[in-house]
Amino acid sequence: MLRILLINDTAKKVGRLKAALTEAGFEVIDESGLTIDLPERVETVRPDVILIDTESPSRDVLEQVVLVTRDQPRPIVMFTDEHDPGVMRQAIKSGVSAYIVEGIHAQRLQPILDVAMARFESDQALRAQLHARDQQLAERKRIELAKGLLMKMKSCNEEEAYTLMRRQAMSRQQKLIQVAEQIIAMSELLG
Amino acid sequence: MIEVPSNPLAWVNGSDAPEKTDINLGFMALSDCASVVVAATQGFAQPYGLTLNLKRQSSWANLRDKLVSGELDAAHSLYGLIYAVHLGIGGVASTDMAVLMGLNQNGQSINLSHGLQAMGVTSPDALDRHVHQTRPKLTFAQTFPTGTHAMWLYYWLASQGIHPLQDVDSVVVPPPQMVAHLQAGRIDGFCVGEPWSASAVQQNLGFTLATTQTIWPDHPEKVLGCTRAFVEQYPNTARALVMAILEASRFIEQSTENRRSTAQLLSAPDYLDAPLDCIEPRLLGDYADGLGHRWQDPHALRFHAGGEVNVPYLSDGMWFMTQFRRWGLLRDDPDYLGVARQVQQLDLYREAANAVGVTAQCPDLRSSQLIDGKVWDGSDPAGYARSFKLHALSDSSHRFAQR
Repeated sequence: MLRILLINDTAKKVGRLKAALTEAGFEVIDESGLTIDLPERVETVRPDVILIDTESPSRDVLEQVVLVTRDQPRPIVMFTDEHDPGVMRQAIKSGVSAYIVEGIHAQRLQPILDVAMARFESDQALRAQLHARDQQLAERKRIELAKGLLMKMKSCNEEEAYTLMRRQAMSRQQKLIQVAEQIIAMSELLG
Repeated sequence: MIEVPSNPLAWVNGSDAPEKTDINLGFMALSDCASVVVAATQGFAQPYGLTLNLKRQSSWANLRDKLVSGELDAAHSLYGLIYAVHLGIGGVASTDMAVLMGLNQNGQSINLSHGLQAMGVTSPDALDRHVHQTRPKLTFAQTFPTGTHAMWLYYWLASQGIHPLQDVDSVVVPPPQMVAHLQAGRIDGFCVGEPWSASAVQQNLGFTLATTQTIWPDHPEKVLGCTRAFVEQYPNTARALVMAILEASRFIEQSTENRRSTAQLLSAPDYLDAPLDCIEPRLLGDYADGLGHRWQDPHALRFHAGGEVNVPYLSDGMWFMTQFRRWGLLRDDPDYLGVARQVQQLDLYREAANAVGVTAQCPDLRSSQLIDGKVWDGSDPAGYARSFKLHALSDSSHRFAQR
C-alpha cells in the first residue's frame, strides 16, 4: 500500500484530499500547513509519495520542494487552484512530478499517482546521468591540472606527462584520478 | 541542485556528444580484458564525456544475461557468445547483437593435467593414441558452449584426428575456476585464456600442449559486444566508447614498460586478482609450457597492432558461424554474410578509428591459413563449413536421404 504524506497548505481546516485518498485505500499521514519542516518530515515519515494541496504554491513551498528533491527525492504531486503557467513551470522546475489544477475526484487519484511515479523515475535516471556527467567533468579538470603541473616539473610534453601519470597509476593499481590528486597535493605541499 | 535540461534530446540536432554518458561495462577476469580496464581507469573515456563503470562477472553465461537484459551496456565478450545470442543458440531467445570492435587476438591455450603428463601424454600424437585406446573418455573443459575456447578446443582436437563430440567429453567451467577443477581432478584438460593457463603451469598442475595461436595465428578472440538496440539508441556513445578503448589499446602496446604496468594493474583484486608472475610473462610473449620449453611467441596476445586487431572483420564473425554449423549448433546454413553485416559494426568502427588517427582503410574480409592447412577468407562460408573430415553436421545424412 502506498504511504502518502499529505500536506494541507489551504485555508480550510480539513483538506479536500484526505477523504478522497482514504476512500481510495491509501495510507495517509496528514500534516497541516507548510510551516512544518518538510525535509525533516520526509525523513521521519518516509512516504512513497508527497501530496501538496495548496491554493497557490508560494516561494516558501517551492523552496522546501527543492530541498526534498535534492536530499531525499520522492515523487511530489501538487494539487492547486493556481492556473498561472509561470507558477506551474516554477513548480515543475523545483522538482514537482505532477501539477494538477482543480477537480479532485477519488477515481482519478490512482492514475494521477501512477503518472507521477513514472515521471519521477525517469527524472531520477536523468538526474543520475547528469550527476555522473558533472563528476566526470570535475575529474577531467583535476587530471588536466595535474598534467600541467607535471609538465612543468619534468619539463616534458603533454603526451609524456599523461604516459608518466598512467604508468604510475597502473603500476600502483590505482586510477588516473588518484595519481592526479597525489600530484596536486604534492605540488601544494612543495608550494 | 542539478538542473534538468529543458531539452534532453538536444543532441538530435547534430551534436555528436554521447547520448548516454554513464556506461556499465562488463568484463571477465582474464588478461585479455586489459584494454577495457585501462580505458576505464586511466582516463581514456573522460575526454569523450563518458564515465565507464567496470562490472566484473562471474561467468560468461552471467555476462550474457546481463548484456541482454541491459544491466550491462557493453562488455568484453567472446566472439562466439555474441553470435550465439544473435542467432538464438543456447539458453536465451535470440536478441539482435552488435560487435563494436575486436579487443584482442591470440593468447589462449589448451592445457593437459599433470596426471596425463605423468602417463607420457605430452604431445598431440600421444594424446591421439591415448584417446583412441583408453577408457574412460577424457573430460575437457571450455568456458562457454559456443565460445571461442570451445571452438579452439574442437578445432584443435579435430585437426589431430580426435572427434571433440564423440571421442572426449566436454564441460563448461568459468575461467577463474579452471585451475581448481584441474587440481580437484574433475577435468583432464582445458582451453582457457590467461592468466589461468599460465597459473596451472606455474602451480605444476598441468602443462600447455598448444597455444591457440598455433591453431590460427592472429585469430579473433574477445570483442566489445552490445545489443543492436544499444548502438541504435546511443550511436554517439558507442562511437566514443570505441575511440576510448582504441586509444587504450594503442597505449598498452606503446612500450614494454606500458605492458608491464598493464600487468601490474590487472593483478589487482578488483580485476584479475591473480599474482603478477602468472600475468606478466605471457602478456610479454614469454611462454613456458611446463615441459621445459621456453620461447618468445611471435603471435602472443595483442591488443592493437596499429588497428589490425581491432577491425570487426566480417570474415571473423562468419568463421564462428561456420563452426557452429560444423558442430551441429546450427541446423541450417544462416545467411552468413548478411548476418555478419548486421552484427559487425564496420562503419561505426571506421568512424571511430578515423577520429583517433588509427587507419580506417581496412578491408571487410581477411584471409588466414589455419593449423590444418585450410584457408579461410570468407568467400564460401557454407562450403567451408562442410569441408571438414570431422564434423557433426546435424542434417547432412538426413537431407540426402530426403532427396
